[in-house]
Amino acid sequence: MARTVVDPVTRIEGHLRVEVEVTNGKVSDAWVSGTLWRGMELVLQDRNPEDAFWVSQRICGVCPISHSHASAQSTESALGITIPNNARIIRNLIEAAQFLHSHILWFYTLAALDYVNPVNALSANIADTYALAQAAGTRIADFGAVATRLKGFVENGQLSIFTGHEGWFGVGAEKHPGYVLPPELDLIATAHYLEALELQAVAAEIIAVMSGKFPHHMTSIPGGTAFVPTEQKLDDILFRFTRVKEFIDTALIPDTLAIAPYILGAASFGGGCGNFLSWGVFEAEDFDPYKRYLPRGFIQTSKGLTAEKVEATDVNEYVTHSWYSSPSGLNPAEGKTEPAWEPYSTDGKYSWGKAARCKDLPAEVGPLSRMLVGYVNGVKPVKDIVDFALGKLSAAAGATLEPTVLVSLLGRVAARNLEAAVVAGWAIEWVNELIAAIKGGDSSYFVTERAEAGKGVGLWEAPRGSVGHWMTVENGRIANYQVVAPTTWDISPRDEKGVPGPMEQALIGAPVVDATRPLEVMQVAHSFDP
Amino acid sequence: MSTHAYYREAHPLIFVITHWINLVCMVMLAFSGFYIHYPFFDGFMGVARGMHFVAMYVVIINLTFRIIAAFFVKSANKMGTREVDLDIKNWLPQEENKHQFWETVKYYLFLRKEGVISGKYGSLQKISYLATIPLTYLQAYTGFCIYAPAMDLGFFKGGLELVGGPMNMRIIHYFIMWVFIVFTMVHAYLANIYNFAPSKIIFLWKETEAKGH
Amino acid sequence: MAQEAHGALHDLLAVRGVSRRDFLKYCGSVAAAIGLSETMAPQVAAALEGAPKLLPALWINGGSCTGCTESIAQVDSPDVATIVLDYLSFEYFETIMAAAGTWAEENITKRVAEGGYIVIYEGSVMTGQDGNTLFVGGGPNNEGAKKGIDILKEVASNAVAVIAVGSCAVDGGWVMAHPNPAKATGVAAFLQKEGITTPVVSMPTCPVNPEWVVAMVVQLLLVADRDPAKFLELTQWVKYTYHDGVTDQDVTLTLPKGIYGQSIHDNCPRRGHFENGEFVTELGSKEEAMGYCLYKVGCKGPQTYTQCPVTRWNRSASWCVNSGAPCIGCGGLNWVDNNAPFLKRLSDIQFDGFLGMGNTQPGHIGAAVGGAVAVGLVAHGLGMKAAGRIGDGPPMEEMKAYDRKRMAKKGGDK
Ligand code: SF4
Ligand code: SF4
Repeated sequence: MARTVVDPVTRIEGHLRVEVEVTNGKVSDAWVSGTLWRGMELVLQDRNPEDAFWVSQRICGVCPISHSHASAQSTESALGITIPNNARIIRNLIEAAQFLHSHILWFYTLAALDYVNPVNALSANIADTYALAQAAGTRIADFGAVATRLKGFVENGQLSIFTGHEGWFGVGAEKHPGYVLPPELDLIATAHYLEALELQAVAAEIIAVMSGKFPHHMTSIPGGTAFVPTEQKLDDILFRFTRVKEFIDTALIPDTLAIAPYILGAASFGGGCGNFLSWGVFEAEDFDPYKRYLPRGFIQTSKGLTAEKVEATDVNEYVTHSWYSSPSGLNPAEGKTEPAWEPYSTDGKYSWGKAARCKDLPAEVGPLSRMLVGYVNGVKPVKDIVDFALGKLSAAAGATLEPTVLVSLLGRVAARNLEAAVVAGWAIEWVNELIAAIKGGDSSYFVTERAEAGKGVGLWEAPRGSVGHWMTVENGRIANYQVVAPTTWDISPRDEKGVPGPMEQALIGAPVVDATRPLEVMQVAHSFDP
Repeated sequence: MSTHAYYREAHPLIFVITHWINLVCMVMLAFSGFYIHYPFFDGFMGVARGMHFVAMYVVIINLTFRIIAAFFVKSANKMGTREVDLDIKNWLPQEENKHQFWETVKYYLFLRKEGVISGKYGSLQKISYLATIPLTYLQAYTGFCIYAPAMDLGFFKGGLELVGGPMNMRIIHYFIMWVFIVFTMVHAYLANIYNFAPSKIIFLWKETEAKGH
Repeated sequence: MAQEAHGALHDLLAVRGVSRRDFLKYCGSVAAAIGLSETMAPQVAAALEGAPKLLPALWINGGSCTGCTESIAQVDSPDVATIVLDYLSFEYFETIMAAAGTWAEENITKRVAEGGYIVIYEGSVMTGQDGNTLFVGGGPNNEGAKKGIDILKEVASNAVAVIAVGSCAVDGGWVMAHPNPAKATGVAAFLQKEGITTPVVSMPTCPVNPEWVVAMVVQLLLVADRDPAKFLELTQWVKYTYHDGVTDQDVTLTLPKGIYGQSIHDNCPRRGHFENGEFVTELGSKEEAMGYCLYKVGCKGPQTYTQCPVTRWNRSASWCVNSGAPCIGCGGLNWVDNNAPFLKRLSDIQFDGFLGMGNTQPGHIGAAVGGAVAVGLVAHGLGMKAAGRIGDGPPMEEMKAYDRKRMAKKGGDK
């Protein structure tokens, strides 16, 4: 038994620490900590309810849109506002742009380096690379130029963001055995890594057009939207969505399917707690969360692959192992936040994150949850693409794979990319829906009337998972505010009963080939996009 | 029971004029200020801002002139008299103002029956009139601080940094305006509570004879 | 001469279809942003292309949301790949670096020992809970973990310069807003308190605008040739002094004047509507469709000093006002307390429980006091009437004798 720590876990949003115990080449226990506390909920006390829209999104610079939308919904539900239809579509579009931005950035910039070895790409045969790209149906780039640039970069000796990791890639040390892709595939992925940097920015421009800027946007103000589209702006949006969708269809999806056969082992670990929560995202016309484009639902795989209903009241947060002195086990509507640091101890308190539980169970949130809930609800594009991917994987594995195979590291990685394809398709439909609505004479974007008091909750989905904002308003001021962020679910520490959180459970059982270089730990941690 | 006479010597014509200028400008300042604070109808911002600046300059010049004039012009040195003295002497505490501050407060709180003897003005009056002088200059200063072309000058920048930036300065500017509004309300009320003779003399320069001796 | 220089960067851009003209145009806008004339563009280009070695940089995340990192990824041209791979050698950059854990930590230690690097610091400086509101890098059971504040001290002590990016790094940002539960402060304040004299450049807005960061880096490379003294001397700055509550001292911030020298209002394309008194009264209304001014819905453009309307955001796609949202003043100091409620003209005053009041609008106080005085005067008037004082005035003559006597008794006048 040996303890290994990864702190900082890099290539994520925020500050995360993972401590694992390795026994016989496998993780036998794990502790995941959030190592930063800023006190957003306390800053929001006594402010105007609308202000939460702008301030609360600053919890996370990678998913500010979703936080702000959850926040706006909590204000709207507290003050009795129903937003106009045009605002609903515009918010869906802004949210979709963020999903696409985030998923592209996650796969290529954050997660890829756990699988792709750019140094190995140097030994690629350029002609073979083109042949492979064609066979895989993935996007052609100037692979020769990329290889040259890469070569110059490695030879120059200043490794920039690769500094300190070159040994893992095989420079001056033995390559980590976890990097298994052929050099040609490494080169393709590296070329797309560079292109992805451009495409994530294009997706972010869509948000800027509709909402001023990204990250931290401006227009989805409680009551609707402040953005009034012009024909020119609608064109700008449609053009960019089309470009992004094309990249997803011609790079992200084929790359995922091309890499998957090499890492089929990842289908047999990293599954985690087996409970999946989705609050639902992308509002439908009737504002019913169970009919959202990606619907609400809770799956306990121990009871089979079926989704049950789930409400805000099903949530509570324990602080047994978190640095708070506030009461443990409260529902966020009554939640309190009183920080109280004491020395870190895996037996005692070890995280700034609270332990969020759904129906008193740890629950994984994120694309895998949404795709599973969508799948069992029969959402057509979800079902189609999951079945398509399962077909491809089955062929590679030489066996018929059931949807339950998705409950794994591989499934979690794939689900995110598949979701991107689904959302990109919808986004283009929604732009046209908006154009039709405006042409039909609907010019309402914002509702001004509102109550002075009330209790509200906004339950929504960020690219990385379920997000909930709870708000109590008295005399036109925020009397209590609580946030349960996606990462609060996934990186939650143990609860009162000592049950580990989803990422902790996903880590347990993961192989660790080289205990001094725990690549698999990074892979599992990154798969949650924490 | 009795009232005073209100003679022209109380407010020589020149001060009737400065009082008028002051009144008109202050109304314009408050109105345009409220408009700039929150434009309650459309199409007036340019005019409102122009009005605010011009009226402010006029108020400041008028006030400065009024102060200087106090050293040269004579005015009645008591209520109801034609006896005159250098105006500035009537601003500052006079013999009759001594020990009258609390008595005046008591009088207005109905804690004593008789009106309090005073000089040309009562103690409270003198204090509040005098206070409006620095307050007017301060208000001009805070205004300059939040006026973009001026705020980088060291003299104004220092003030901005002291209060923590333009927003706080704007709030101070706003509050001082409320002080003026409150002052004006109290001033108008107390001046006219017994009868309108004070208004007749200060606005119309019309005398009223004493009554009921 | 620069005109002939065809460095690696230019070749690279050529491959991406960026012409030399576009490149020079970009360099011109960089030059303008840092307060140089556009004729300096060739020199900017030369600096970008001719740098013999990448400038080593450590990007440190303090109490951040990672938004400034995200923002850097949205930089226009040169694109982010170029910056990260070809201009600066980011030996530490949590969000995008390959290495993690101790491997990442070692990069810091090595670079600090060697020197000759810049620090870009994102996020607030977390001093709350004795500095434990942020810690990084411990072993099993957190043995040897470093507090965020200690990392800042370590990296800043030997750096050429520190660029504090985003409002959080500048003065604590939203995290230091009332009641500042995690005792957040800014980089300049913290380093001053610790007696570390490395120059700090502050670059607010939440998040930071990536083009401006590039401009500053170019400035350091070009005009200053990596010499901090020259850098400070040759750049035009604006200075702001404020009182930092956490470290309890007056702090002077240094901001590049080319970027933070003019108000948003002065450069706003909607300014004409402001002057004409044409306002958006309801968000998302037909006045918004006509591009009217957002002043009435709380726009803080008039008191916020940044180049947002000029540079714009996300590769010039748009900016806040252009999309219909009032500026919330995220480029100002203590921006949440100084600008919230964002849809109102004046900010709240934080009474923090004094007289039983919390956050309160100045307008409510003004109207309440004015109203109370009006009511008081009416009541007083009724009292005066009841006391029979109205019309004839109070009894004066009798009183005079009384007063004289009283004053004489007290040693007053004759
Ligand atoms: S929208 Fe804002 S910055 Fe633009 S003119 Fe109006 S008040 Fe000024
Ligand atoms: S316009 Fe205002 S709110 Fe928008 S980024 Fe600039 S300073 Fe911040």
